[in-house]
Amino acid sequence: MVKKNKVIALKDIPGFVREGDRLWTGGWTVVRKPMAMVWELIRSGKKKLHLVANPGGPEFDLMAGCDCISKTETNYIGHEVFGHPYNWRRKLDEPDGEEFYHDDWTVKTGALRIVAGSMGIPFIPSKSLLGSDIINPEYDGFKELRGKDKKVPRRKVKLMDDPFWDGDTVVLLPALNPDVCLIHAQKVGEDGTVLITGGTFLDYYAALASEVTIVSAEKIVSREEIEKTAEMNKIPGMVVDAILEVPYGAHPTALHNYYDNDPWWFRDYLEASKDVQKMREWSKKWVHGPKDYREYLELLGKKRLKKLCADGQKGYNPEMKRRLDRLEEVPSE
Amino acid sequence: MKKQVVELGYSNLEMMAVAASRILENDDTVLVGTGLPLVSAILAKKTHAKEMTILMEAVAFDCDPDALPFCVADPRAVYKTVWRPTAMEVMGQFLQRGKVDVGFLGGAQVDRYGNLNSTCIGDYNRPKRRMEGSGGANDIASLAGKTVITIAHERKRFVEEVDYITSPGWRCRTPDGTGLVHRRELGLNGGPYAVVSTMGVLKFDRTSGEMYLHSYYEDLGITREQVCEATGFALDTSKASPVGPPFKEELEALRTVVDPEGIFMKY
Repeated sequence: MVKKNKVIALKDIPGFVREGDRLWTGGWTVVRKPMAMVWELIRSGKKKLHLVANPGGPEFDLMAGCDCISKTETNYIGHEVFGHPYNWRRKLDEPDGEEFYHDDWTVKTGALRIVAGSMGIPFIPSKSLLGSDIINPEYDGFKELRGKDKKVPRRKVKLMDDPFWDGDTVVLLPALNPDVCLIHAQKVGEDGTVLITGGTFLDYYAALASEVTIVSAEKIVSREEIEKTAEMNKIPGMVVDAILEVPYGAHPTALHNYYDNDPWWFRDYLEASKDVQKMREWSKKWVHGPKDYREYLELLGKKRLKKLCADGQKGYNPEMKRRLDRLEEVPSE
Repeated sequence: MKKQVVELGYSNLEMMAVAASRILENDDTVLVGTGLPLVSAILAKKTHAKEMTILMEAVAFDCDPDALPFCVADPRAVYKTVWRPTAMEVMGQFLQRGKVDVGFLGGAQVDRYGNLNSTCIGDYNRPKRRMEGSGGANDIASLAGKTVITIAHERKRFVEEVDYITSPGWRCRTPDGTGLVHRRELGLNGGPYAVVSTMGVLKFDRTSGEMYLHSYYEDLGITREQVCEATGFALDTSKASPVGPPFKEELEALRTVVDPEGIFMKY
């Protein structure tokens, strides 16, 4: 059954997410992450979320820094060349007594797991992971949870000899079916059809694999308009439960053809995230301070947002200087 | 255009990028990770390997970027591509199907067998320093035709035993986690081909799978002895030969086209 009116508001997002849910955040590290929806989840005081997107970027680190999560299960968490994920790293390097678990995967095995989830099959074989410590039983980050937590597979992997051909041993991977999938896109039709350019990453599979999928977009367009871009549309509305319009909804990550990474955000955030107290002050100002997302964008300022504007031909801002130790002053009004 | 040996000063990091780029050939399909590997691959594409096919795990397929991507999903990486697939196609299909000639990786620690660690320093269960994690490195090291590794040459990085095997080398982890086994016994093809460091290029003995010094940057004042001192395990240097400075064309491309801001090269 397809619900007809799918439009919701940003403040409705927390109502879709429960404690302990496995949450997929679309995009890829510092590109097209659903930052506005994550921002609203943090503001609502969500706890003990279980992040499963492959790979994770600033949204993982921000949720770690604001104590919203207790499990991460992915191939990579970081801000790429901008810097290290200090908040998340602190959870593992300096445990504070609160429970926190991390399970390591790889890009390919993470992709295969979500593909299996999208196909409705329970597991899928892989030719990588052998020879590494990622499947070393001693280093299974979820070993204490297996057999107890229903949202964690009973075992990490199973090795199996090829039962059909004279092949080698394969590694069976458990399918991944997130509870909630949050995606930010360039456009979404009022029926939920999603237009994405510059790379869909694993979002089509994740939308299909998840129980609930919510898509925010720079713009909600009519059915007639989204029909015109059928070749560029990546996810059918059938697997999209709710939609919302949030301009700059991926800030500070990059959105192809719309805006580039915000280097000032990364510089200031990275500095704050190195220290618990500074991080609290940072989130007080940038996450909890503004009344709503519009006010957050006002706090950033028009001039700064304009600086991020992407070139329509190239998809990014070719004038953007990205070396953090040599950034110009934050553009202000 | 005739190549000309450069007379200007240059850094070890620049030499490393140049030496790594020289390993890549015009008809290679290379799957590249973020950071120095990406710098070197783009440098090769802008100099001697113009027809080389560059793949990146997130989306970029046969790309020729104008500006250096910050990550493999950067809009800069997908500008000038012929196709924009997903990690499912690039990694789950092209890589796993055996269509990638060269995998190009960085890491924090490497051992004599080319096992690579990009996961943690110290005990995995109680890390001294947790790092970002494998990304696609494990898959690439497991499934590419051969692997090239770039890493700064320091004793804390060239170690007797890596703290965690993120990406398998020639003798890698047994499935029960207790010992080491040759990768062929696990059914893994490919394997580490070269390690390009800030001091030279290291390759692997076919029989033992152990690393040896292949060449060193004599023009930068590097000697065999210095390389041994900066390596945490015994290194055979008997086959090593000196390698000359970068060509002017290479250095110019690196400084003006590939990384003009010095994002990686830190000019």
